[in-house]
Amino acid sequence: MGLFGGRKTVFVDADILVIGGGMAGCGATYESRYWGRDLKIVCVEKANIERSGAVAQGLYAINCYMGMQWGENRPEDHVRYARNDLMGLVREDLGYDIARHVDSTVHKFEEWGLPIMRDPKTGRYQREGKWQIMIHGESYKPIVAEAARKAATRVYNRIMVTHLLMDSSRKNRVAGAVGFNVRTGDFHVFRAKAVIVSAGGASHIFKPRSVGEGMGRTWYAPWSSASAYGLPIMVGAKMTQMENRIVLTRFKDGYGPVGAYFLHLKTYTQNGYGEEYEKRWYEDTKALVGDYIDRHPVPTCLRNHAILKEVAAGRGPIRMVTKEAF
Amino acid sequence: MPTFVYMTRCDGCGHCVDICPSDIMHIDKTYRRAYNIEPNMCWECYSCVKACPQNAIDVRGYADFAPLGHSVRVLREEKKGTVSWRLKFRDGREKSFVSPVRTTPWGSIKGPAEYDAPRPEDFARQELAHEPDALNTNQPLPALRPDQLKLGLG
Amino acid sequence: MLGTNPFAALSASIPPAVMQAYIVLMIVLVAAGTLFDIVHKGSARYFFDNWRKSKGKGTRRLEGAELVSIAVQTGLVDVLASGEFCNARRRVAHLLTMYGFVLYVVSTVVMVFSDSMSDLWPRLWWIGGLMVLVGGYWFWFFIRADVSAEGNSPFRVMQADLFVLSLLASVTLGLIWAAVQARGIAGSPIWFALYVIATTVLFGSVPWSKFAHMFFKPAAAFEKRVTTANGSRSNLPAPVDKPEQFGSARTPPQHY
Repeated sequence: MGLFGGRKTVFVDADILVIGGGMAGCGATYESRYWGRDLKIVCVEKANIERSGAVAQGLYAINCYMGMQWGENRPEDHVRYARNDLMGLVREDLGYDIARHVDSTVHKFEEWGLPIMRDPKTGRYQREGKWQIMIHGESYKPIVAEAARKAATRVYNRIMVTHLLMDSSRKNRVAGAVGFNVRTGDFHVFRAKAVIVSAGGASHIFKPRSVGEGMGRTWYAPWSSASAYGLPIMVGAKMTQMENRIVLTRFKDGYGPVGAYFLHLKTYTQNGYGEEYEKRWYEDTKALVGDYIDRHPVPTCLRNHAILKEVAAGRGPIRMVTKEAF
Repeated sequence: MPTFVYMTRCDGCGHCVDICPSDIMHIDKTYRRAYNIEPNMCWECYSCVKACPQNAIDVRGYADFAPLGHSVRVLREEKKGTVSWRLKFRDGREKSFVSPVRTTPWGSIKGPAEYDAPRPEDFARQELAHEPDALNTNQPLPALRPDQLKLGLG
Repeated sequence: MLGTNPFAALSASIPPAVMQAYIVLMIVLVAAGTLFDIVHKGSARYFFDNWRKSKGKGTRRLEGAELVSIAVQTGLVDVLASGEFCNARRRVAHLLTMYGFVLYVVSTVVMVFSDSMSDLWPRLWWIGGLMVLVGGYWFWFFIRADVSAEGNSPFRVMQADLFVLSLLASVTLGLIWAAVQARGIAGSPIWFALYVIATTVLFGSVPWSKFAHMFFKPAAAFEKRVTTANGSRSNLPAPVDKPEQFGSARTPPQHY
């Protein structure tokens, strides 16, 4: 608040406005500055970019790295993997574009100071699976935030953007955004020539079984309130791949991504009777999706589907067996 | 395991308020000390725990499914580039871990504007910043041919 | 003005015995308030519980001599030098306020209880008072976490402000009264009355304010040093044996 209370309206004009200062927003800020040396680039974040977004606590792995420098994978391989896993419901060109750029991004992270584990025998990045590499990523976000701070003209922390502004003279053109300072209540109006929305995915749409304090124990950050969807949808943006939805089962009280458990620690699942159940649903699933059930690896959604069918058949709960792994 | 503050160690400096990505660490009105206002929106990211200069913040289990008696405490030493964890299980067993967090000094990242500016013709190309050199492949950036796009270009 | 005892001039209208009784009453209120606070909050029980638990978790037993040495260190570093503060601004503001308050109180007591005509004590009273005002208003407007990190207006008042506000009020009004009285400006009794009200609130509100931190904090600082010395460290990991070579990215909390 001002000295005597009361809220102000603050106008900020920029060339490029980046909404959201998570990994994506920090990356967009960095990339914008590389190409626009004299531009005014403003990044607006509802928390503090030092630890904001889904990577707040850090990560132990980077889940998508080709390894082209060692001939490990090509972008085409990743497209095939995604196409198989999502049973054909993919924008292969977008998947290709992401896959071909990840390697250079990861190399810059290492140059900036992110410790990446190395295989002692080969000297290459230590892999956890075909696509994942292992990192010491406790400070992943602070490192990337430092790069963004070196790129932005100004970073606005603690400002929640609530709406995009449209250009009054040109149709379907976003011209800025408005938001509130969550500390002082001031109203901020950002006007920009180009706007990049990187305001976070959606968490808590499907709630965990724990609905008390345990509701905070979700896989994705509880503060990811789907602004990256909400802001553009409200002004009529065309959203891509929304027909593809997957609701992965998460295991009670852990709710974390299961990749580390299944791939790295080699845990497995059993039904309530201690039986292996996936094969039981083979014919049923084949009738539904054809020969996708025969692919290696089996698409994640079909493994997920088997869990749902088994529980509906009354043989739940499905347990992840960790005793041998630990 | 939402966070909680040891009031005898907290001196009300506000670093946790400043860092919390969920905006749930705030200053109490009676004691001017920090506290977690919304445990069910706490992801246990430990940002506040690591940011506290007095190590006054600790984490406990979510009340609806985790029993008490364990301890998971962290010491992030930014200047040494390390993070140390000390885990105590309910039966008394202890595990400790130390990991590096950074290999370069804080503040040492070369800003994008410090690199040579892109040439005008680079804006029309498909390479992003620092490509193709940063790919480490001595090859050009992989690209799709127009005949590989089902709907053609544009 | 700076060298004259303001209470000496006051003794024309208020007998010294009354002023002395008031001071004794304030001391009693502080002691009683602190004791009540300790019992009400269970602070002593919490302190000794913690003490017992940390001894149980510690990796080594501490000898009596070591405990004495830790107590001395606590006194010198944490109490006298306000060493617990990690932030330089907060530490300086606290040192100013703390030593200013000590000077202010001690010189008040001396001036009321003795009839010394020396100009030393009035000068110390003024210096102490001004130190409190500098440190205190600096803290109030700029350093308070609810202003610097939460973005509240400096004029927003909450219960936690009771101690600081009553302290600032007492010193501000006291100095104004002394100046008004010395210059012969009208209205001196009103300023004195306000000064007494503020001072009574300051010393009387101990059970509800943060006044008693000056007794609790040294105990907490001592306990913290003991947990480091006996290896329990409140379950924290030990610092790593590596050089400090990466610098720091920490910025003060000012993000709004």
